[in-house]
Amino acid sequence: MAAETSEQGYQQVTVADIVRRAGTARNTFYENFRSKEDCFAATQEYAMTAALERVVDAAGAVERWPQRVRAGLAAFLSYVAAEPALARTCMVDALSAGPAAVEYYERSQQAFVSLFRLGRDVSPRGADLPETLEEAIIGGVFWIVYQRLAAGEVAAIPDLLPELVEFALTPYLGAEGARRVGSGDADGPDEAPDAEL
Amino acid sequence: MRDPANPPAESPEYPPELARLPPGRHGLPREFVSHNQRERLIAGLAEAVAEHGYAGTTIAHITRNAAVSRRTFYEHFASKDECFIAAYDMVMTELRRRVAEAFDAEEEWPRAVRAGIAAMLGFLAAEPHLARLSMVEALVAGPVVVERYDAAIQSLAPYFAAGRKDLPDEILAGLSPTTEEALVGGMVSLISRRIFADRTEELEALLPDLVEFTLTPYLGSVAAAEVARAA
Repeated sequence: MAAETSEQGYQQVTVADIVRRAGTARNTFYENFRSKEDCFAATQEYAMTAALERVVDAAGAVERWPQRVRAGLAAFLSYVAAEPALARTCMVDALSAGPAAVEYYERSQQAFVSLFRLGRDVSPRGADLPETLEEAIIGGVFWIVYQRLAAGEVAAIPDLLPELVEFALTPYLGAEGARRVGSGDADGPDEAPDAEL
Repeated sequence: MRDPANPPAESPEYPPELARLPPGRHGLPREFVSHNQRERLIAGLAEAVAEHGYAGTTIAHITRNAAVSRRTFYEHFASKDECFIAAYDMVMTELRRRVAEAFDAEEEWPRAVRAGIAAMLGFLAAEPHLARLSMVEALVAGPVVVERYDAAIQSLAPYFAAGRKDLPDEILAGLSPTTEEALVGGMVSLISRRIFADRTEELEALLPDLVEFTLTPYLGSVAAAEVARAA
């Protein structure tokens, strides 16, 4: 499903394409899925779950919040680069696969919100930050990755890490602090959020 | 109109074809709603898409709404897709015009950004069906429209990039080249999520959040918040 969708686009793919690619019988497809839509939803759920597991594992292995964001984003970008067809299906084609797929896409973005929201505890402006900040940051990160996927620039995706970390952390830590975390220069102990906000 | 209890206002500003457009405070330029068939068809499509979604819209819906024959439809457009693209382009041209006008009317860049975002939110909130057509249905209308959608969103980046010219070198040096792309992506995701959920009435309240979010990389979050919250 993912391979065919990323090559042809969701609207064009047929069940015949999927079973040919998978090397299975049409019967086998219908034993597992009711329809192309159903198969797409399963693909989307599989890939988003896998991506989120990697993000949570990577972020959970690190103590301090700014480095957690960096570790989580690094895991996300390397998953996308390792599974471009799945990632394309979930981030590019999902948007043309009907309301249920778009809704799932939107909802899975929200899973990242909780990771970012912890930053309010370490930011001197935590209480004053806009309510929608995390939603906007994640939307921005996904948009950049989506543009690279749509342009077929898969190999360059992990290299986005420093700038995406900087973009995501600037509202919490200020530009200078965010840049240090993004470039990996802030990995020493007792790195306090700086005061140049 | 589907609601006979609530007929559209009869005034020279609102020609009868506008009644074919989904309800909203139109205020669109006269060309948008003029009397020719092509525009009636486009308006008919906007109404049909609002009611049935892109996938559920048929040529019959469009011609019925436009009160023209099927043959007339095919004199103007080869397909539903082609009619949708014409509608999409018309909405985006109008949206871009309003943003540019609002942005250009301000002297200082931070206030210009604020004015541009306000114009965009105002248009989308006043035209929920056109908002849905351009920000939600466009994504299911096939690769040609998706490509235009991507380009339209990326075309907002220069408004933010204009802020770079007033920055001191040390801040400029630290600003990554993808900053503007991330800002437009984040801004549009907030907007389209609300349109998708049929919560266009919440759009205008996003103004301070979006202004603070988009100005923060350039001004720092304290100064960005001041512009965002200024009356």
